Amino acid sequence: MSHGRDIGEAIIRPRLSIPGRIGLILLALFGLLPVYWLTSTAFMKKEAVFALDRPLFPVDPTLENFVGFFQNDALLQNLANSFIVSTGTAVLSVLVGGIMAYSLSKFRYSGRNAIMFMFLIGQLIPGALLLISLYLMLSSAGLLYTYTALIISFTTFTLPLVVFLLKGIIDGIPDDILEAAKVDGLSRIKTMFQIVFPLIVPGLITAAMFAFMRGWSDLLFALTLAGPDKQTLPAGLTQAFIREGTADWPALMAASLITSLPLAIIFILLQRYFVSGLASGAVKG
Amino acid sequence: MIALPAVLLFLVIAIYPLVSSIGTSLYDQSLLRPDRTFVGFDNYTAIFGEFMARLGTTLTFATLATIFPVLLGVALAVLLNARMRGRNILRGTLMLPWLLPGVVVSFLWAWIFNDSYGVLNHLLTMVGLPEVSLLGNPTGAMAAVVIAKTWHSFPWIMVVALSVLQTLPAEQLEAATIDGATRSQRFRYISFPHIVGPVALVATLEFIYNFGNFDTIFVMTGGGPGDSTTTLAVSLYQLAFGSYELGKASAMGVLWLILLAIISSAYLLLNRRLEKR
Repeated sequence: MSHGRDIGEAIIRPRLSIPGRIGLILLALFGLLPVYWLTSTAFMKKEAVFALDRPLFPVDPTLENFVGFFQNDALLQNLANSFIVSTGTAVLSVLVGGIMAYSLSKFRYSGRNAIMFMFLIGQLIPGALLLISLYLMLSSAGLLYTYTALIISFTTFTLPLVVFLLKGIIDGIPDDILEAAKVDGLSRIKTMFQIVFPLIVPGLITAAMFAFMRGWSDLLFALTLAGPDKQTLPAGLTQAFIREGTADWPALMAASLITSLPLAIIFILLQRYFVSGLASGAVKG
Repeated sequence: MIALPAVLLFLVIAIYPLVSSIGTSLYDQSLLRPDRTFVGFDNYTAIFGEFMARLGTTLTFATLATIFPVLLGVALAVLLNARMRGRNILRGTLMLPWLLPGVVVSFLWAWIFNDSYGVLNHLLTMVGLPEVSLLGNPTGAMAAVVIAKTWHSFPWIMVVALSVLQTLPAEQLEAATIDGATRSQRFRYISFPHIVGPVALVATLEFIYNFGNFDTIFVMTGGGPGDSTTTLAVSLYQLAFGSYELGKASAMGVLWLILLAIISSAYLLLNRRLEKR
């Protein structure tokens, strides 16, 4: 029996031949060397990077690039903005998406499929296509250059994802529980907040973190709808980079690492969900 | 209906803008002036040539930036599916590029490709090869953004392909081996048909995302040199927020939208026909 399994295992997972190993090493180097270069540059002194005998590893490692980031008021403001906007996006997405998912999952009404289809397609519309109208709309609503503007526009992107994720989870809640709540005289809203949402807390957190990541990484909307004061880190860094060119690559790499850190932390926390989410093609950065 | 607020929000934020840009596209409207004048289809005739040129660039970028991550991701998945030590660690660390925000990926590759101080030229000189100035010439700039995008998205494809490989029908493969099928025959008749569907699906999604890509190109090349990497997304942004021509930019957006509608209905139609067979 175990012998048969070994044969199966060997067929499905053969050992790598020598050319296979070389191929794997080369591809892995392409994947990993840039990460090394990002990290090591962030710990290099600016003078070392521009010296004639540039080193390939931080000979004399320094934290000055990270210290510089936290001494720069504009960058700190960007960082704070990123946290505020991404958190707001996460909260709004989960609240609206949760209601939406509950409705799509547990109620039958006409137009239900149309709504699902709309969300599916909505996920594929490029941000650039919405840009001008969104700008004009927010401008006439007096919301341009506010946190609200960014939170609302990011939520457009995150909503389909959050709805599909939560709908899948709510589908798994047995109808009996909801029936019982109805018999006990709970209104639909109360059932949702007191029964359904508490049951799916892990799902809500996962969805919130996905939404957070999406808001954290966006460039296009932040660049156009945030104005100078409310800009998030990606937009702030990009504008500085394009305006001044770059004299200071180590500082930019340090700032890049800081920008990436929250996403890395979330990834570690959510690893399990990510792989299945990625695999189903539902999630894309 | 309990979901009404959510549907309304989505309609207002995502669907209404698409419709309202048709209105804007018929006016001479600028961010610099409060008033606007009706000009009918003038904006369309003015930007049509530019639209076609940008479409070509966009298709080039989207196609290349889909093919390479798919090849790389599938190759890595097949190799990582083998029995070896350190497999899980390697798989985990190879997810790193996907984790980085697009802007960070763009900064990183702009730094690697930097003419005077970039590590690529450093390495080339070390092994005695001539330096290259990728971002300085049209073909090189396109190659540079494609490489950066490839690096950013291969992990996604890799994970999808790996998860598919893990669901390969073990019994079929075993039976085929016992019946004397060679390794390449097993791949061709069992593994390949199994993998091709999911990979085609992620490739399609990847193409759609690449078609609308903004950050990689905007940060690395700003659409240049000249207009060699100006895709539709970058062009629309520049028209609206660089030259403040909202009317013309909207016209470009509407043409893009029409194209998107045609492609997606063709896709749906094709899909339906294939399903019927």
